[in-house]
Amino acid sequence: MSADGGGRGRGDDADDTDGPGGSDADDGSVLPDRLREYAVSMAGASGGERLLIALAAIALSILVGTVIVVAGGLIATCRTPVLTVGDLALCYDPVAVYDRLFFGALGDPLSGGWSPLNAQFAVTLRETTVLIFTGLSVALAFRAGIFNIGTQGQLVVGALVSALTVLWAAPALSGTAGTVVLIPLGLLAGAVGGGFYGAIPGVLKAYAEANEVITTIMLNFVAVLVVRYLVSDHFQDPGSQAIQTASLPEYAQFPALLFDPRLDFSLVALGFALAVVVGIYYLLSHTSFGFDLRTAGLQPAAAEYGGVDSARTVVASLTLSGALGGLGGAVYVLMILGKFQTGVPSYGFDGITVSILAGNNPIGAIFAAFLFGVLQSGSSVVDFATDVPPQLVGVLRGLIILFVAMPEFFRLVGRRITPEDRGPAAAPGGAADD
Amino acid sequence: MTDSGETGRTATDAVHLDGITKRFPGVVANDDVDLQVERGSVHALLGENGAGKTTLMNVLYGLYEPDEGRVVVDGTPRDFDSPRDAIDAGVGMIHQHFMLVDPMTVTENITLGNEPERWLGLSIDRERAREEVVDLSERYGFDVDPDARIEDVGVGVQQRVEILKALYRGADVLILDEPTAVLTPQEVRELFGVFEELTAQGKTIIFITHKLREAMTAADDITVLRAGKTVGTLGAADASRERLAELMVGREILLDVDRPAADPGETVLDVRDLTVEDTRGVRAVDDVSLSVREGEVFGIAGVDGNGQAELVEAIAGLREVDGGAISLGGWDATDASRRDRIDAGMAYVPEDRQESGLVMDFDLVSNGLLGSQHARPFAENGRIDWDAAREHAEEIVAEYDVRPANVDARAASLSGGNQQKFVVGREFARDPRLVVASHPTRGVDVGSTEFIHDRINDLRSDGRAVLLVSSKLDEVQSLSDRLAVIYEGSFVDVVDPDAVTEEQLGLLMAGEQPDADVSVGEVSQ
Repeated sequence: MSADGGGRGRGDDADDTDGPGGSDADDGSVLPDRLREYAVSMAGASGGERLLIALAAIALSILVGTVIVVAGGLIATCRTPVLTVGDLALCYDPVAVYDRLFFGALGDPLSGGWSPLNAQFAVTLRETTVLIFTGLSVALAFRAGIFNIGTQGQLVVGALVSALTVLWAAPALSGTAGTVVLIPLGLLAGAVGGGFYGAIPGVLKAYAEANEVITTIMLNFVAVLVVRYLVSDHFQDPGSQAIQTASLPEYAQFPALLFDPRLDFSLVALGFALAVVVGIYYLLSHTSFGFDLRTAGLQPAAAEYGGVDSARTVVASLTLSGALGGLGGAVYVLMILGKFQTGVPSYGFDGITVSILAGNNPIGAIFAAFLFGVLQSGSSVVDFATDVPPQLVGVLRGLIILFVAMPEFFRLVGRRITPEDRGPAAAPGGAADD
Repeated sequence: MTDSGETGRTATDAVHLDGITKRFPGVVANDDVDLQVERGSVHALLGENGAGKTTLMNVLYGLYEPDEGRVVVDGTPRDFDSPRDAIDAGVGMIHQHFMLVDPMTVTENITLGNEPERWLGLSIDRERAREEVVDLSERYGFDVDPDARIEDVGVGVQQRVEILKALYRGADVLILDEPTAVLTPQEVRELFGVFEELTAQGKTIIFITHKLREAMTAADDITVLRAGKTVGTLGAADASRERLAELMVGREILLDVDRPAADPGETVLDVRDLTVEDTRGVRAVDDVSLSVREGEVFGIAGVDGNGQAELVEAIAGLREVDGGAISLGGWDATDASRRDRIDAGMAYVPEDRQESGLVMDFDLVSNGLLGSQHARPFAENGRIDWDAAREHAEEIVAEYDVRPANVDARAASLSGGNQQKFVVGREFARDPRLVVASHPTRGVDVGSTEFIHDRINDLRSDGRAVLLVSSKLDEVQSLSDRLAVIYEGSFVDVVDPDAVTEEQLGLLMAGEQPDADVSVGEVSQ
């Protein structure tokens, strides 16, 4: 009956035309009515409300997670139970787990002598920095109505191009001058590499109507394998067992600034990430190109009506999205690794979740990336400080993300269906429901 | 209606809708509508877009509960809560968009949800399902391969599968919503053959259409709806196309504004031998030529669906041209991009404001910018001046009395009439050389309609060229200086709107030349 229900929810039901607008509404019709209502109400939520919802979601996920930790702790056997009630022994302490997960990631801010420059906080911010780029990459494409799952591939390509360019240029320079030239050069190279790799699915979509979800997924594999071949057969560091390039000279890497250089985190890189966020925000909301992109993302027919060249907008937004992924790769190389090595962590895929958490909002991507950074870095603290197995910690992380993402996910769905849904649909047209 | 008394018929009617009223917020979609459908007949429900045909059928199919009125099927008053109830009472509906599962076979689709079962419902008796489908299609003379996959068969066959699905579920009354919209002329003929076969076996068919000829060819009786009301029911034998066109379009009494005679200047829009295909590849606009000069309103009248939409979209730059040429003030714009046409001074009020004229999720400030997002004074060097955009939106809202008068409101939150006023305001404020207005007053209340008409007259006396498409006869007649009548993609004639009578227009809209010569201008070949 759900297919029939779709007809009921449409905005121009009073109208006889079953125009192409129906397709949008059909997206919503697969949802049961209650989820529909929820989606629609989420679409109208304000920024403050959404923040509250996100905090409530974290609290709720902790509650559910606690149950899982306790259940896991009762099943597991251990020498030193946290709590023993009669025959029941509880192995894992849920309070300790969440304490380590959150406060551990920040380097125990509540204990005395806390300094924001501590090592664990550096790890958190390091992850945050790269995730800001990948989150932005996905978010920008999303805003143009394109689902870019290829950020990972774009990041890998950007990372390699960045590393090779800097390795090529480094011998000509040295010292501070080298840093000032090589870092921007490396970032530019990463952006160009990632942008080029994003342009491929863009062109395929714009001129050959190839579905970008498929092409970007496929191109991820292509990127990883081609890069592996290139490094192992052409750019291999002879002194290493791993498939990696030679190391970049120290002066070609991001300066640590305040933090310990051994922590692989640079405030300069984080500052650059924040600047890019502001830039993308400005691009989306204050430029003609941003207007075109958002219009195309929301309502392609209206964009075409308004003189937007949809093919060019698709190519441009995927190129830009790829460039952001490539920047993430460049930062990964220039700040964290100091070389290129295969087996790049899944920053690009996490970027999809970051983007959804952020509601595809560039500014929101900062907070979403930070939450991800905390969870990433906190997990290692939990592993270290408790007996809870890493798999279980992964479950807890997933729970938090799932709980925070679901309202945002419904908001996205809600925004898709509400335009069609004003008027009749909001009315108790559903009263006729079974 | 003519041959038997009211009481005598109700008993034999397959369907009787009695005084149906269905309201939506701000709209009365059906207003005291009556419909009687004789058993074993084909009944056409004719009306323009927005007349309330689909709403009425959704009431009959149990998708909507009527606010007032009775639904009587087979002489028994019914109260349908859902389509399931309607199906149980023998009413089946075939929607305009088919609801079939593409990778599944014809048999699977037809029996879906009602499969013959084996082992207490744990398994499907596929053989029996197939047999039943074969029997069913043979009984009604359908040529359908029960094992073909839906994705491999054509639209016409898919439609027959939909019909079989309804029959399989025991439908005696079949409702088809615009069944010919997706079919080629050949498939349309076949569908009408199917109608005959079905009615010969006692089934009753109601089909929705806005095409006069189809109603007259396929139906026994025709009920015309206009603006949510029943305008009349005629036997197809008694109906003439001009009479139907007149009933559909209606005549609203509007004050005729006194206005000076046209003082046309240079040609702004020149269309030569234009041919346009619609999305199905069927020729929608066939060799149309027209020209619109400065200070002139060129009107196009016709029943919806005769190629007006495609013609206008081709001129606006939203649809590819298959032959012919379009020039704007001497500049060949045949293959020009939409943006170049906007920059060349073309304003366009689209037929579908919610689909293309407005971004529903944007506020009015952003919507006021749509189409000008690259142009001064709103944008310079790729940067948008939001203050200028806001001011612009506020001006439109004030001048066109858009309510609520809040430019931060999302377009989706406005009523249809106010959305339309905003779109019209934005386009007319473009300082255009040419205005293409497609149904500019559709869904707008009387006061605002008059206001928009005045603005069109202002544009005209201001020396702008206006191309006006409307299915409201009084509107095109009172505003146009020259009036073309379009039928099946071609201009039947170009007439003097002040000299032509409604009867003559009715004939022209039905594709026929009236006896008296009313032509004033060139007609496409």
